[in-house]
Amino acid sequence: MTVFKGYMKVIRQSRWLILMYVAIFFACTLLMQSAAGKTEKSFQAESLKIGIADEDGGTFAMALRTYLDNFHEVIPLENDISAMQEKLFYRDVEYIVRIPENFYRKCIVSGGMLPVTTVPDTYSGIYVDQQINSFLNNARTCQTAGFTEKEMADALVKDIPVKVELDTSMGSGETPQYIYYFRYVPYLALALLGFVIGNVLLVFRKKGLKHRMLASPVSSRRQALEGILCMIVTGTALFVLIILVALIWYGKELCANGNWGYLVMNTAALFFVAVSIAYFSGSLVTNKDALTGTMNIISLGMCFLCGVFVPLDYISTGVKNVSQFLPVYWYETANEILGEFTVLTGSAKIQIYQAVGIQLVFGVVFVCLTLVVEKYRSTGK
Amino acid sequence: MSGTDYAKEGIVHIENLVKRYGSLVALDHLNLDIREGEIFGLLGPNGSGKTTAINCILALLKYDKGSIRIFGKEMEPDNYEAKRQIGIVQQNVAVFDEFTVYENIDYFCGLYINDRKKRKQLVEEAIAFVGLEDYRKIRPKKLSGGLLRRLNIACGIAHKPRLIILDEPTVAVDPQSRNRILEGIQQLNRQGSTIIYTSHYMEEVEQICTRIAIMDHGRSIASGTKEQLTGMIKTGEKVTVEAVVLKEEQLVQIRELSHVFKVDYENDILRVQCTEAKHNLVRILRYLEDQEISFGRVYSELPTLNDVFLEITGKELRD
Repeated sequence: MTVFKGYMKVIRQSRWLILMYVAIFFACTLLMQSAAGKTEKSFQAESLKIGIADEDGGTFAMALRTYLDNFHEVIPLENDISAMQEKLFYRDVEYIVRIPENFYRKCIVSGGMLPVTTVPDTYSGIYVDQQINSFLNNARTCQTAGFTEKEMADALVKDIPVKVELDTSMGSGETPQYIYYFRYVPYLALALLGFVIGNVLLVFRKKGLKHRMLASPVSSRRQALEGILCMIVTGTALFVLIILVALIWYGKELCANGNWGYLVMNTAALFFVAVSIAYFSGSLVTNKDALTGTMNIISLGMCFLCGVFVPLDYISTGVKNVSQFLPVYWYETANEILGEFTVLTGSAKIQIYQAVGIQLVFGVVFVCLTLVVEKYRSTGK
Repeated sequence: MSGTDYAKEGIVHIENLVKRYGSLVALDHLNLDIREGEIFGLLGPNGSGKTTAINCILALLKYDKGSIRIFGKEMEPDNYEAKRQIGIVQQNVAVFDEFTVYENIDYFCGLYINDRKKRKQLVEEAIAFVGLEDYRKIRPKKLSGGLLRRLNIACGIAHKPRLIILDEPTVAVDPQSRNRILEGIQQLNRQGSTIIYTSHYMEEVEQICTRIAIMDHGRSIASGTKEQLTGMIKTGEKVTVEAVVLKEEQLVQIRELSHVFKVDYENDILRVQCTEAKHNLVRILRYLEDQEISFGRVYSELPTLNDVFLEITGKELRD
């Protein structure tokens, strides 16, 4: 295993580069998830102070007061315009409803407007407007249906919204923190493995060294196999590190989620592709500058196009059509599905397997291309 | 042919080897026999086919025609038994910049020797052999050209091969390192290794090689010991007389002296080539005295391999 050890020794020379990449990756991931991960878990309906000047005092007017009282704090006001304006100016109330005499007849039977005063261009005003419109529209529907004023008032008071419980058993709608972590993994895998494996291939492809090794009793096939073994070991080591850190950071959350096995599978497929791309690129480039340029284009290009730096939801259809021909797109697609669902249904499972399968096909294609390049080179064509 | 019969044909036997690069013929029916225990020199100008021949011997290059037998067996890329017994020191330094001196030698030795304990001992011996004891932990980039060449040699010979091929190992090396390398090669030979040494420096080949093949245009134009090679040519002695003023008729008279076959006169320097005979120098000096011609420094040289090359090909070895 001399050749394997030699490869590993060259890789160890890049330990500072590896450390730097890994440290930057973990730091950036932490920053990004802390910025993106703040999701509200509950909400409270907005409650306003509503002043009501009731000149009607009838059953239907009382129904409107009761209706609004369910959502807001209702404050009775005198029907004095200047006093009401003063209350509104000092924000003692934020919305004023003036219920006119013969409210039912004027507003429901004749379809007149209910006079209101509000602070112009405020969301709260629009919010109350909508609630009052809803009340009046329901009343008009009841009136058309032949309800009496008393029956209508009873029906509208009973029509108070029920409290809705959100069922989070199929996913709370909130993206789990670890999904952000796994979203950025492709950049680390592509860039780091690309530089490290590309560099070791460049070293061993130096003409003099290659000749010296071919003149040795270790067959070229064995040398190639030991080189590939080194790449597999490097890729696996980085993969294990990524999974271990994920377990340390998100242990409970990850293990509680039934999909963590799929996440690991998807990440393993990605690392297979990353190693094969690194092997392919490393076998094509001829010097370190070319390697740096190539790996930057591959890693950054794929990450920008395939939803690593910019989530897939924000990427245009045209770009997505292109990125479907890149393996990282399928990794991110599977990652997003795993982020959306806590329990995978049949169709989601199929999508995951499909995405992982496509990544593996990409990996095999790159390995085959590399073997063709190597064969082409060894025959001197 | 069995492995033990190669003593008859040599440890390396090359027969009618032809290697073409397109229309360029790099090796043109090359024939060589290298015997066990000798230092065999391949001498020739740049581009004469020395390195191509070496690469064919190591099965790094496919050839178009002919055969190569090493230790009595056909040399193929998968003849690992033969490769195990060969050490190669290439023309260009081929070491890992990423490894230290020790790690480099250990790595290349490890391609031949699996036993870690034995390897450690061999690596230490190789380091001592090339005198790099103080540089074990130094990376090649920090070594001078001469030390780098020594490291290159140590990587090639650490596993104590039976046959060592050194392809111009002293190119761009200072005289001190060169002498050390040449002494080392002779020492390796004394320890039992057969050496193939390629160079375009005839002085080195003359100094250390027991047998020499002179190559030009991919062919071996002459081979044998130095004495045999110089014996092949007409020149037996070269006499040079400096600071001498001669007339044309005097040059004609010198040309007519017995055993003289070539006379050059330029910039007041007279060069006379004589066939192998006694008293050539005395004869020329007596003529100059008789003619009362004054002269400066006088010296006589025996023919060199350059003269052999010059006489056979009509051009200097370094042309």
